[in-house]
Amino acid sequence: MDKFKIFLLPVVGLVFGIIILMLIVFSLNSIPIFQREGIAIYTTNIWKAGEVPEEEFYGILAAIYGTLYTSTIAILISLPISVGLAVFISDLLPKKLREFFIIPTDIMAGLPTILYGIWGIFVLAPSLSGMMKFLYDNFSFIPFFSYYNPTGFSYLSAGILLAIMVTPFATSLIREAYMAIPSIYREAVYSLGLTRYEATKVLLSYIKPAILAGTLLAFGRAVGETVAVSLVIGNAFNIHSSLFAPGYTISSLIANQFGNAFIYEFMPSALFSAGLALFLIGLVVNVSGLLVLKRWGYA
Amino acid sequence: MKKVLAFGILVALLMLGCVSEESKEGAMEQIKIYGSGASFPAPQIENWISEFSKVNKNVVVEYASKGSGAGINDFKSKLVHFACTDPPAKKSEWEEFEKLGKPLQFPFIVGAVVVVYNLPVEGLKLDGETIAKIFMGDIEFWDDERIKALNPNANLPHEKIIVIHRSDSSGTTEVFTTYLSLVSEEFKKRVGAGKLVDWPVDKLGRGFGGKGNEGVSAMLKQTQNSIAYVELAYALHENFKMVSIKNAEGNFVKANSETISSAISASSAYVPDPTEGYKEDPKLFLNAKGKNSYPIVSFSHVLLWQSYPEKEAKAIKSFWKWVLTEGQKKIIDGYAPIPKEVAELGLKAVESIRGE
Repeated sequence: MDKFKIFLLPVVGLVFGIIILMLIVFSLNSIPIFQREGIAIYTTNIWKAGEVPEEEFYGILAAIYGTLYTSTIAILISLPISVGLAVFISDLLPKKLREFFIIPTDIMAGLPTILYGIWGIFVLAPSLSGMMKFLYDNFSFIPFFSYYNPTGFSYLSAGILLAIMVTPFATSLIREAYMAIPSIYREAVYSLGLTRYEATKVLLSYIKPAILAGTLLAFGRAVGETVAVSLVIGNAFNIHSSLFAPGYTISSLIANQFGNAFIYEFMPSALFSAGLALFLIGLVVNVSGLLVLKRWGYA
Repeated sequence: MKKVLAFGILVALLMLGCVSEESKEGAMEQIKIYGSGASFPAPQIENWISEFSKVNKNVVVEYASKGSGAGINDFKSKLVHFACTDPPAKKSEWEEFEKLGKPLQFPFIVGAVVVVYNLPVEGLKLDGETIAKIFMGDIEFWDDERIKALNPNANLPHEKIIVIHRSDSSGTTEVFTTYLSLVSEEFKKRVGAGKLVDWPVDKLGRGFGGKGNEGVSAMLKQTQNSIAYVELAYALHENFKMVSIKNAEGNFVKANSETISSAISASSAYVPDPTEGYKEDPKLFLNAKGKNSYPIVSFSHVLLWQSYPEKEAKAIKSFWKWVLTEGQKKIIDGYAPIPKEVAELGLKAVESIRGE
């Protein structure tokens, strides 16, 4: 047994080593911008590049805001869909038909994200712009709709695109957990005389941890998505409460700017600190997930 | 079965041997030159490369269009043999080059930045001041008095103006913002000139960023009531509606080879010696005098080293010599050839390249 432990040690060390090394690299490279601007890099919304270093100033607040906003939209849309799909596939479909539904969702999960991005820029954004115009014209007193944006490039487009991309992930995780519920429980639930809806509710509460895990995974993926989002979010340093406003996300900011960042003195460091912010967001989300599990008594 | 397999492998190996030997022979003669940088002259360079390959089969030139900034970076890390940049290299950049070797810079083509729009109105006319106000977000509606005054007969809609700009660092942006800073004191103060600027219109929520010329043009095509700036060859290719811009003498001109050439001949084409390229004035052709001159015209420059390995030096010399002589007669739509004196200056620089 001990030998087996020693045998596995390098693998564990490698994974942890990589994570820690990445954190170190990101932190070290962020130091210049922190020394120059302090916390202002995270609390202001400015992106001023200049050939003269004195003129440079970077603040990524708009990108942090956009990242959280779009990912939240994505989760809010994709969670009910993935739970519904999981229940539908495992409870209502005849066994023979299941594969026909599982395979497409698995393929969707594996598609290169640029495909979603191109679809987003040419189909999703233009078709949403019509709906957005209608909602703005008639309901602009609601803060979510209070933004005139005829382009369709907005938080909403990015959020919907992300929802479409993360749903397959969340679905397959929840589906596997749901199908793995021991049949004794199922039989017990039905023997109590519950209706199908009531029974499903009880069974779903049994797999709460899996649903949470699916949500966290989906959120993580939504936060990190780069190419597709940068095509539909509008790439504007803008902070607005409306769904229809254009914005930026951290990942799309890095994708847009990294190619040319090294011409400027402080931009690479600013982008590293943006990466660090992504790390922190991921950490906070996962830790809070663990805390919730603990409250439920699972961990 | 095993025997068949073994035989198959043997045959495959033999064929592989033949192929690799053949390609080796090819490589002995062919020399590859790599370049990267500005997307502004990319269509013209592609055209030159295909023309050049017809007359000179031994040299293969490859050009990656990824932006002036990225090109300068590649050049600095010696990933490429030459780099193209629209605005001339800055003094600070030049000093960094000089730490690595002897750099050369000279112009090789003239192009123009045009203001394009998506609006059911033909022949829109604007002056520099108004364009600056639109791109700063000061003018909100298309039927603003200041636009109406320039277009008394046009049927302008009461719609908000959507401003589209580049989200990545680009030479096109630098040329455009340099022009706007030249004609508008306010723009110079609030925004300034650079490859990447902080557009005030973004904060008003009417500004959008597209990545690269492709991103900008996809957004423009799909967005009614929008305005953007792109490089002329790109606008021609996409068939965008172009704004006629008021030039220094008060005439409204559209960009084409003729109005670009007029701007060049109207200005004194002072180009510094290629060994001190950073001394060039980036405002050289902007807002040039002359009745028929288009106001946003700029050189695109190439960066070369003064010495390369023997074989590469020969190939690089032959390509750039060809570009500055024969190439200047094969200019595609949307560009203009450089003046003769400037070409001669470039030729001298190319001649000075030595092999090691």
